[in-house]
Amino acid sequence: MEQPIAAGRAAPVRFRGLASSRPLNALLLLIVVVVALLLLTRVWGRGPGYFAQILVYGFANGSIYALIAIGYTMVYGIIELINFAHGDVFTLGGFVALALLPMFGVTESQRDTPGVILPLLATLVISMLFCGVVNVLIERIAYRPLRHAPRLAPLITAVGMSFVLEGIMFLWRGPFFLHFPDLLPSARISIGPETSVGVKELTVFAIAIVLTVVLSLFIERTKLGKAMRATAQDRDAAQLMGIDINTTIALTFFIGAALAGAGGMIFGLYFNSLSFDLGFSAGLFAFTAAVFGGIGNIYGAAIGGLVIGMVQSFSDGYFDSTWTQVVIFAVLILVLVFRPTGILGMRVPEK
Amino acid sequence: MTVIGGLRRLWETDPRRDPTTLTYTLLAIGAVVVPLLAAATGGGYLVGQIADAGVFVLLAIGLNVVVGFAGLLDLGYAAFFAIGAYMYAELASPYLEAMGIHGGIHLPFWILLFVGMFVAAGFGALLGAPTLRLRGDYLAIVTLGFGEIVPRVVRNLGTLTNGVNGISAVDPPEVPAWISGPWSGDPFKIVTDLKVTDAVGYYLIMVVLVTVCVVLVNNLYRSRIGRAWMAVREDEVAAAAMGVNTVRIKLLAFAIGASLSGFGGAFYASKLAYVSPGNFSFLVSVTILVMVVLGGMGNIPGVIVGSLVIYYILYNFLPDLPGHLTDMANAFGFSGLLQQSGDWPGLAEEASRLKFLVFGSILVATMLLRPQGLMPSRVREQELQKGTHEDTTIEDVGAATGAE
Amino acid sequence: MQRSWLLTVLAAGSVVAGACASGGTGGGASAAPSGGAATGGASKGEIIIASDLPVSGADASDGIPTQNGVQFAVESTGTLKGFKLTWKGFDDTVNGAHDPQKGAQNVQQMLNDNKILGMVGPFNSNVAAAEIPVGNRGSLAMVSPSNTNDCLTKPDFGGKPCTDPNPKNLRPAGGNNYFRIAAADSFQGPAMADYAYDTLKLTKVAVWSDNEIFGKGVADTFQAEFIKKGGQVVVRQDFDTKVTNDWKPFLTDAKSKGAMGVYAGATSGTKACIPRAQMAGIIDGPYMTPDGGVNSQCIKDAGSNAASMYGTVAGANAEQNPDAKATVDAFKAKFTKKDDLGSYTFMAYDCAKIIIDAIGRAIDANGGNMPSRQQVVTALGQTKNLKLTTGTYTFDANGDPTTPTMSIFQTKSGDWAFIKQFGVGGS
Repeated sequence: MEQPIAAGRAAPVRFRGLASSRPLNALLLLIVVVVALLLLTRVWGRGPGYFAQILVYGFANGSIYALIAIGYTMVYGIIELINFAHGDVFTLGGFVALALLPMFGVTESQRDTPGVILPLLATLVISMLFCGVVNVLIERIAYRPLRHAPRLAPLITAVGMSFVLEGIMFLWRGPFFLHFPDLLPSARISIGPETSVGVKELTVFAIAIVLTVVLSLFIERTKLGKAMRATAQDRDAAQLMGIDINTTIALTFFIGAALAGAGGMIFGLYFNSLSFDLGFSAGLFAFTAAVFGGIGNIYGAAIGGLVIGMVQSFSDGYFDSTWTQVVIFAVLILVLVFRPTGILGMRVPEK
Repeated sequence: MTVIGGLRRLWETDPRRDPTTLTYTLLAIGAVVVPLLAAATGGGYLVGQIADAGVFVLLAIGLNVVVGFAGLLDLGYAAFFAIGAYMYAELASPYLEAMGIHGGIHLPFWILLFVGMFVAAGFGALLGAPTLRLRGDYLAIVTLGFGEIVPRVVRNLGTLTNGVNGISAVDPPEVPAWISGPWSGDPFKIVTDLKVTDAVGYYLIMVVLVTVCVVLVNNLYRSRIGRAWMAVREDEVAAAAMGVNTVRIKLLAFAIGASLSGFGGAFYASKLAYVSPGNFSFLVSVTILVMVVLGGMGNIPGVIVGSLVIYYILYNFLPDLPGHLTDMANAFGFSGLLQQSGDWPGLAEEASRLKFLVFGSILVATMLLRPQGLMPSRVREQELQKGTHEDTTIEDVGAATGAE
Repeated sequence: MQRSWLLTVLAAGSVVAGACASGGTGGGASAAPSGGAATGGASKGEIIIASDLPVSGADASDGIPTQNGVQFAVESTGTLKGFKLTWKGFDDTVNGAHDPQKGAQNVQQMLNDNKILGMVGPFNSNVAAAEIPVGNRGSLAMVSPSNTNDCLTKPDFGGKPCTDPNPKNLRPAGGNNYFRIAAADSFQGPAMADYAYDTLKLTKVAVWSDNEIFGKGVADTFQAEFIKKGGQVVVRQDFDTKVTNDWKPFLTDAKSKGAMGVYAGATSGTKACIPRAQMAGIIDGPYMTPDGGVNSQCIKDAGSNAASMYGTVAGANAEQNPDAKATVDAFKAKFTKKDDLGSYTFMAYDCAKIIIDAIGRAIDANGGNMPSRQQVVTALGQTKNLKLTTGTYTFDANGDPTTPTMSIFQTKSGDWAFIKQFGVGGS
């Protein structure tokens, strides 16, 4: 284990020099400055009310990305695998919730009545559990047998699992845009002439915060959490200390997927539409968020998620929404090329 | 070497001991027999389909250079395909009239094939230069990001690319000389500058292109460069220590893979006479990846067979499946299954939705059960087998395989 | 040079294959005239009328009812001057939305089948722009029930010469093989603009489009007419609907600028009515779509906010035509479900009938033999005063109907209800 790390550092030195050479960095900085200035003039032109409104949408978008990104970052932190299927687990959460709601007898006409709160919470919990179990199964079937294979192998199965999940949802509900019942209160609190915060946005944000805090408490305060941290740092040493590696990894997959599943249901409640291939781009953006915040770092992922959410709403609101995805993918490439360790992240040794 | 020499060589080698020769022989025979059979049954349709499949064979051979030879996972391969296709469509259609050039630009097909190749290779190098230092999985994501950006930029460029609507009325391939005769219902004479618009013509051009690419890539694989790719794939550190310029060698793999994709893209645009950004999505990249993985990473005949199999599943088996299932359900008295009820959309519609599941299952099952693919490359087989059976960590595998 | 034998074998093989194969298929489309020579006897052979429509996915709510019209027309005709008529359906959707590339591939496949003498479709204008050149090179007769973009046929649009697409460039072999019976967007957009300003009394609206040939074109003409009437378009945005889920910033922007309603230049396959569901609580006003939204998928997408949506259909409603009652009833007896009948079912029925009529005249012109594709196209161009379920059709030199009709629909209790129809000028 020691040797490749040491050697790996030695070999690509010259190459790193190329990518982070001064002209490239200067060019990057120039682009960032130009975009920032352009944004600033537009923000100035539209006034503070609109700005605050876009900020509100950014928080809501970002909360959803944060929930997905946390799962990504946890899985990557522990087995260094990009779980491509993670984005599709997120979609699955929405699909399961969509199927469960009618079973609880909830219809759109009950919006704004207190009767929907309990079924909504029950749906949330069940879809989280369901996604967790699915993700554990994915790990068991597709990743565990390949844990010692060359890296290309699990990466390809991960892409395959992503397609399997999309395929199942495609078979189930077809290629349509599914209407997700609009159940959150439509009331909006006006906080300015052009700005209002909907109960919807508050709910989305609140759920994301609660889940993130609960998770971090779990990881920092419980024995299982400690086992996860230990496994992430050094799997072999953790094993020697008597930690059941397989259970710990399964637990990580479970928790990550549960958060993504919650994200899926919240996405449905907030945007009122789902489609089977939603998870592809949402997952990639969440991965961007995870890398942005420093892969393996849960708070980093949460903050990264918010940043990506903001990038999205600012691009939608001040520029042209047709360019939004290009912008986020460009951020993805730039972050990976120039700051593969993340903006906030500590230096993770490159293995 | 003459045909007779080739045949004698074939006779002397025992095909059972050399599956590669056997496969090539079968493919060559198939390339001749299938269109003859199709022609006998009046199926211009089938010949046209094989010509379409040929585009995917080209792409799979190119991706095989990147994934199979050099061991770099490229998930945005369709981007180079798009670049080649758009380059052809812009320079060989009336479209540029919209930009004020009267009548558009109509450059010759054969020149544009090579221009497409070099332009795509240039983009490959451009993307590769800053990113190839990244570790394998990050590289996969960066290529994926690039693969997503290219079609979206094309969608958004408006008048330059005509956005979501794409470019139509693209020129068909043109051959400098052709012999017409009684077989095409014309008098016997030599035709110059013939525009090819029928299935057989496309097929012939495709066979020529694929043959050229197979020979080129085969020779590359056997050369110094090919051995360097293998060394980098198995252990980059060791390869660097042995004096291989890993940066340049990876960049070369990337650029050559991209160039074949651009080549295929130009031919594709000319055959379909239309390009749009929707043709180059992630699904296309994954389709090609599935072809390479199923056929056997690193093994050219395997990859060709893999792409033909996948093409057949994708464009013949799956589209026909709803019809067959409907007939079967009617014949066996399960016609109730055909009706739509609740979430069940009817058997035929359900069958038309199988594509994603089939792709995913092939990828997962191949990697789990037979990571070397249908037709393994011998070197690659050892590496992939070793990995799954030895009790080592991920990190150790690089060192272990490199040491042997 | 270990494998250079391979090159030799392959090259030699392909030359042989090519020579022989050319002999067999006779070069595809160009051989069509000789195809009919051998026919004779009681049944002189088979003629296929194809259709190319989006019949799966989100567009299926438009495509299937339209395809039903073609199927019904061909199958209820049965035989034509000794030839057996059959119908063959092609689907131009990929992953749930209409796809121009798939459409072009479908037309190439049609050209490879000598029995196919004409096609009904496509449904979407961008698919048409990809298909017309392919069909034109093979002289395939195409009649669309629902393409409305002006630039597919006319030399200019909104006073400007057409460059995107340029109808001349769409026909690289020269001549015209493409006809349509729907009213063009230069009528469809303004029809809704007039209705919005005069009847719905809107003065400020927001307009968005899906950026496709059709969606953007119809949004542009709506906008121009609405402004001409004296109204204001407060926000105009074009979306990439493949990737957009969130219309809230757009709607909020529109709200802050005083929009009273929203016009969507899109189709159900490009999320025409998804923003309608997100409008709840932001803008309380009518939502207007062109014909691509007048279907059941749109109502599903709008969810609980489906009331007070308005849509245009670029053709007449056969159910308002007393002469067509027998045909409509016969159709309903065969296709019993409510969703089987859509706003373009009888337009497609009429398209198929127009092709059948043209093939009949082409057979006569060819002395009772199987006509060539070019003869069918020529006969099609001469279609004159053909009285069908949705109107009486004559084509002008561009391939447009001389007297198109426009109808307006409104959502009432979960379904689209007919309001009125009117002729829109001649061309």
